[in-house]
Amino acid sequence: MTLLWKLLRRHLSVVQLGGFTLANLVGATIVLTALQLYADLRPILTQPDSFLKGDYLILSKKISTLRTLGLGSSDFTQAELRELETCPSVQGIGAFTPANYRIEGSIRAGGMGMSTLLFFESVPDRFLDIRSEAWTFSPGERTIPIIIPRNYLNLYNYGFAKSQGLPQISEGIFKKVSLNLDLSGNGLSERFTGHIVGLSNRLNTILVPESFLTWSNQRFGSGRPGAPSRVIVETDGSAPEALYDYIAQQGYEIEGDRQDAGTTARFVRLGTGAIVTVGLLISALSFFILLLSIFLLLQRNSRKLENLLLLGYTPARVARPYQLLTAGLNLFVLLVALAATLLIRQGYLPLLETLTEEYHPGGVGLSLAAGAALALILTLLNGAAIRRKVNRLWKRA
Amino acid sequence: METITLQQVLPAVFSDRPPQDSGIWLREVSFRKGECTLLEAESGSGKSSLCSYLYGYRTDYAGTILFDGRDCRQFSPKEWSRLRNRSLSMMFQELRLFPELSVLENIRLKNDLAGGYQSPNRINRMLEQLGIADKRNTMAGRLSFGQQQRVAFIRSLCQPFDFILLDEPVSHLDDANSAVLAQLLSEEVSRQGAGIVVTSIGRRINIPYDKILSL
Repeated sequence: MTLLWKLLRRHLSVVQLGGFTLANLVGATIVLTALQLYADLRPILTQPDSFLKGDYLILSKKISTLRTLGLGSSDFTQAELRELETCPSVQGIGAFTPANYRIEGSIRAGGMGMSTLLFFESVPDRFLDIRSEAWTFSPGERTIPIIIPRNYLNLYNYGFAKSQGLPQISEGIFKKVSLNLDLSGNGLSERFTGHIVGLSNRLNTILVPESFLTWSNQRFGSGRPGAPSRVIVETDGSAPEALYDYIAQQGYEIEGDRQDAGTTARFVRLGTGAIVTVGLLISALSFFILLLSIFLLLQRNSRKLENLLLLGYTPARVARPYQLLTAGLNLFVLLVALAATLLIRQGYLPLLETLTEEYHPGGVGLSLAAGAALALILTLLNGAAIRRKVNRLWKRA
Repeated sequence: METITLQQVLPAVFSDRPPQDSGIWLREVSFRKGECTLLEAESGSGKSSLCSYLYGYRTDYAGTILFDGRDCRQFSPKEWSRLRNRSLSMMFQELRLFPELSVLENIRLKNDLAGGYQSPNRINRMLEQLGIADKRNTMAGRLSFGQQQRVAFIRSLCQPFDFILLDEPVSHLDDANSAVLAQLLSEEVSRQGAGIVVTSIGRRINIPYDKILSL
């Protein structure tokens, strides 16, 4: 091979191969970075706390004037829930269970106190998937884990604190604040400590664990589960139109910015798609640069190649040094592009971590696989094109 | 391979004025393993064309060339490569050396392909006998045509073969070198039991011929 390579590397253009390497590097890095960014954004787009996952909807009934006047109910009946459960693409539904007793929350800090009436709701844990070990309650405990909407904190920080000249507080400090909760009903009155374990960006209610609500409703309330006024629906996303049609037909409302969230997810997918396309285009162009460069090399060495074929070298053997050259270049580009992607990732990951709490970045498997596939496809296409060109020389030889 | 048979072969270039008294064209002629054939010709009578047909790099002819009864036009590139490695050796009139490689590298390029068919010692002896041992590390492009002819000859012996085709092998050699070449050729051919097809337009290599055909 060394003698053959010594012969065949003549007329090798370092500038052309350098041009290819650079172009392919840019293309591959764009493709891999876009895919990696998508993989890292997915946990944010699909994290359960946001209910942004394409597969969760929160439904309630429209409050009409009649309902305000007490005619008709905004609660879901058991029949309605059963019907909803049988809708196309619905995987399961979970009711929001309200607390049916009186709750007064108070907070004391720096000699100042605030108190307000509160309400609790719960949803089955599988719809929450809260990543907090504190999200449990057993009868007898005096601490209640709570999830509150993030905009409560924003209301305080940007509305109340500013206008009243109070200090603004960070999420970290906010989560350390304990609330005094006075629960009363059934002639009982007990004090608990509320501990905020999470802030929800989009779920507009004060959530407590279902186990606590069941226990406390029996202790302080009627004990009889009330009809839910809101439900959370898990869908497999297979037939969204049919489900939306049914929801509209029943006069239910989809709560929150589920629609916007869907749009955001779509936009991210679209953006990733566009960037990947641009990257692939650059890679495709660089592929042609390499191919042209190799073809030019083959052309310039055609006399030598003909003579080698006449000496008894097979077309496969003659093509091999060039195929190895392209494979080596593609492998080099893959490794550098992967390194560049991981470096870029180190740059943006801290930014993503500030976007949401308990952020777990996606794996690098997707970009690794895509990079390997890209390098493999380019190498195979290069190899086949070189082989075809050498075969054509054979016919001339 | 035992026999090469030409049946009514005529180069396309002669199709409008077929030669009347050729010993090869438009006849049935066979070359047998172990036989030595001299093809005598005038310039332009198609002897290099015949070599290229027999070596499989041109097919612009009418008629059929059979290798042990098989039409060689049907051979795949892979089969031709195998033939050129094991059954057919060729010394081209235009030599087809690689000018940017040294004498030894040119020879090794073929000898390595044949799995080191000739030992380095044997190659050195042949270089010495042909008077170019001191040129072994010189680029082939820097040698005279006569010296290059000797390199190409040694290269053609660096493989197993049933037939060796030599296209004007001594056109630029003096009598002494021509005699050495004849001796080396005879030794190798008798060792391999091969057939020789050699062309000449004037100077001929001095070996006993079984057949002399005129093109």
